Amino acid sequence: MTNLDAYRIAKEPFYRSVGGEVGLFEAAYRSRMPVMLKGPTGCGKTRFVEHMAWRLGRPLITVSCHEDMTASDLVGRYLLDAEGTVWHDGPLTLAVRQGAICYLDEIVEARQDTTVVIHSLTDDRRILPLEKKNEVVKAHPDFQVVISYNPGYQSVLKDLKESTKQRFAAIPFDYPEAAGEAEIVMREAGADKSTAEALVRIGARSRNLKGRGLDEGASTRMLVNAALLVAAGVPIMEACQVALVIPITDDDDLRDALTGAIAACV
Amino acid sequence: MTMTEGRTGAARSFPAEWQGRWSAAHARIDQAGYGDLVAGAYRSAGPIVAARAGPAEAIRLGESVSFVAIRSGRRAACLLIDAALHAAEAARHPSELTSWLELVDDIARRAPKILSAFLQNGSQVLDRLGFAGLAVFARMGLDLGRDDAHRLAFFALQSPEARQLLERQHPSASLPGLLPGLKPYLRALWAISPPIVETPGDAPEAMRRRAGFGGGGVRLPPSYAGFPASDQKQLHRATLAHIGAHHRFTRKKFPATGLKPLQLALVSLIEDARVERLALCEMPGLFALWRGFHVARPEGAPVAITLMARLARALLDPSYEDPHGWVSKGRALFEEAAAVDIGSQQLSRHVGGLLGNDIGQMRLQFDAKSYVVQPAYRDDGMGVWDFGDDNPEVPYEMQAPAEGARLEQRESDDGHPEPDTLSDDSSGRAAMVEASEDVAVARYPEFDYVTGRERPDWCTVHEPAVPMASPAALHRAIEQRADLASRLTAIIKSSKVSRQQRVRRQAEGECLDMDAAIEAVIARRSGQVPEDRIYGRYERRHRDLAILVLIDTSASTGERVSGRSETVLETERLAVAMLAKAMTELGDPFALAAFSSNTRDHIGYQRIKDFAGRYDIAAEGRLAGLQSHHSTRLGAVIRHAGKDLKRQLSYRRLLLIITDGEPHDIDVDDRRYLVEDARAAVHQLRNDGIDVFSIILDSNAESYAIRIFRRQNCVQLKSIETLPEKLPGLLLRLALQ
Repeated sequence: MTNLDAYRIAKEPFYRSVGGEVGLFEAAYRSRMPVMLKGPTGCGKTRFVEHMAWRLGRPLITVSCHEDMTASDLVGRYLLDAEGTVWHDGPLTLAVRQGAICYLDEIVEARQDTTVVIHSLTDDRRILPLEKKNEVVKAHPDFQVVISYNPGYQSVLKDLKESTKQRFAAIPFDYPEAAGEAEIVMREAGADKSTAEALVRIGARSRNLKGRGLDEGASTRMLVNAALLVAAGVPIMEACQVALVIPITDDDDLRDALTGAIAACV
Repeated sequence: MTMTEGRTGAARSFPAEWQGRWSAAHARIDQAGYGDLVAGAYRSAGPIVAARAGPAEAIRLGESVSFVAIRSGRRAACLLIDAALHAAEAARHPSELTSWLELVDDIARRAPKILSAFLQNGSQVLDRLGFAGLAVFARMGLDLGRDDAHRLAFFALQSPEARQLLERQHPSASLPGLLPGLKPYLRALWAISPPIVETPGDAPEAMRRRAGFGGGGVRLPPSYAGFPASDQKQLHRATLAHIGAHHRFTRKKFPATGLKPLQLALVSLIEDARVERLALCEMPGLFALWRGFHVARPEGAPVAITLMARLARALLDPSYEDPHGWVSKGRALFEEAAAVDIGSQQLSRHVGGLLGNDIGQMRLQFDAKSYVVQPAYRDDGMGVWDFGDDNPEVPYEMQAPAEGARLEQRESDDGHPEPDTLSDDSSGRAAMVEASEDVAVARYPEFDYVTGRERPDWCTVHEPAVPMASPAALHRAIEQRADLASRLTAIIKSSKVSRQQRVRRQAEGECLDMDAAIEAVIARRSGQVPEDRIYGRYERRHRDLAILVLIDTSASTGERVSGRSETVLETERLAVAMLAKAMTELGDPFALAAFSSNTRDHIGYQRIKDFAGRYDIAAEGRLAGLQSHHSTRLGAVIRHAGKDLKRQLSYRRLLLIITDGEPHDIDVDDRRYLVEDARAAVHQLRNDGIDVFSIILDSNAESYAIRIFRRQNCVQLKSIETLPEKLPGLLLRLALQ
């Protein structure tokens, strides 16, 4: 059986709690309730899962979902080798057998017929049938499914099936309030206080443009990136251009407006 | 200049082979009896023009002088010679002068009475806009209509249209060019999106110099006079940052009752400083932006206006030193009160009041009429005051943005007012003016093919309410053709218009489906029967299509279809109703609108169904209520519809225009003009990824339809009565080609 040590998180990942989410997750884990993390991109969902896996001492298997992902990519498949065929467990099966937390990142990206394979795992059955192998895997008592979901991000066409949605408890995430976000930027990028505060102000300005030209404002992750560049000696205006303005939009007017707003904050 | 001098000049400027022609040219003018003034002026101007732009142009000028003298009189001919000297100097190539002379001839031919005004002011326009710009200007003026007074005001640079054009010299520095960047700037800074409008050309001078706010909107000057083009953007930004600060921190308007103009100005000044101080706590970078425009210095005569500018600077800029007692007192009072509670608006009222008394005691004059707020980026100070309801001085102030607010508000989306605007939480401010029944919702440029340029804001689109009528007759007509209706649904349903999708596990296809192939090999090796569906291919599986149908309701659609009792409009209506029914059943996004025009100022765009709205009994009622009137001005309508379509996220976006004839309008004589404008509008939409198709119910459509829509994008329907059954098929044929 594959050793999951590589999936264990040894060092505490920094996570700054913004509300009761740590307690809520622990409570949900107690009954192995499937959890959905809802929030905009780059606000700390993935970091939160890592932190919780560390806290609970469970290995964490992360799958980034994409459009072409099939059920076999999750469950496993037969592969060929010199002897003949060998079965390879997919990441989900691995987690189910050994009691890891399986984190399906951006689940709506996967097609709906793929996501239904988690249905039997996320109700009281807690089993995973491997049709091809003619095997039913009973979930390890420590196994849990966590999915992330960005409500503003996907189009109307891409949404979770109602039957999928209703299996999960959901914890909402958002960008932390200014002081908290500044602390995160300082901590993650080793930035000084004034730089971090300026970047957080800039973040807030860009988020004002959400739905007014930008699909999302600058995420905490972007601010951290900008701070990292500043820490490496790049002037703040330029760091913001590179880490924030240019990645976030291709519209010249918006770039111009954002640059103006950044200048107003530093 | 005497005759002899003229001849010597001529000898130098005209090469030997031109001497004879030049003598003949001025001899013609000498003998034509236009008077000595004209003849003398031409004789002396000729050599100069020849030196600047070549001898041929000097002789060409003679022809124009004759023509102008005959059409518009001797005085105009004299003016022409002066203006020609100027134009010759400005011309970089002789051809520019030739086309300038042709332009003059054209005006003399079409509007001889206007020519003098053009010649007097044309040089000024030329300096600012160049030759091409001047041609745009002149043609705009000529097309203003046959009303000479209106045209005269235009060429005398007195009318709003003319001023607007002049002020828009640099697209990069003009407000319309900057607005797309300024709106998100204000939004980013202060999380507000009020309508922003340009101060109209006919507003009083004082309003045109400074920005203002009120009535839920913001009004910006077209440009800041006295500042170079490179500063305009920063000035507009500084203004918006400042007005945003008012929005955030001036929570309640100050009652103006009983206050003198000086007190109003001073309280405004202190309030400006207070909100800026508060804004700097959030956005320290604004200091550099604002500070750059404070140019007051501690020198010069201590008059009220300059002292106020110095105080404004002192309150913003801590490093500024000013020895004047009043300024330092103002600063001390402000800082003292700010230390107690800068959040209190009473601070401004109190400090401003005290400082006003001091100005009075110093016996300094304050002329409210000539007072302009300093520095330039600050608003005119009126937006923070509550003048009560019946103050005669304010209405203009409040009206202008409100007027604009309506324009912008409707523009913002499918006719639904934006909820998140300035008015949302401003207790003391006038609420956003409700869009009334027939309001101008947008202005669009029109393309002038002669100059190859757009006339900015030339057309005004209105969205009049559509009178409702009972759709019973329409229902009956559809009922009669029920078989047809279901066939239409089937036709549309079977069409696949979408992005290609990958289909897996096919028995045949254009690529291998790797997963299936591997499984097949595994199956074979493990002794099972392999699956033979191991291919994949790409195909269009769905319909992802948004259609906006535009119905021509010009007067000619009121005529009967030959040999039948229905009118063209009725036929159009039935066809559209059947299409709408089919689209509704299939759940495809579509919108319906009707159009007609009555000069460039009144282009009617009647919304029958929006993309967001439902095709319900009300929409059917509006469709039934359409009436034939006015003319067909296509360009602006296409641009307006395009704006709606641009917001749709479908794979294909189609604009379908059902029209019964050539674009025309009563204020346009040139048949080609509107055709070329429509063509430009179609072209623009195509660049935005929107396809424009047309079904033309006119047997003589060839001359213009192909020019506007391209051959493959239009269909001519000679037997109009067959439109209902043919429409969906035509539409799909057009869409799928």
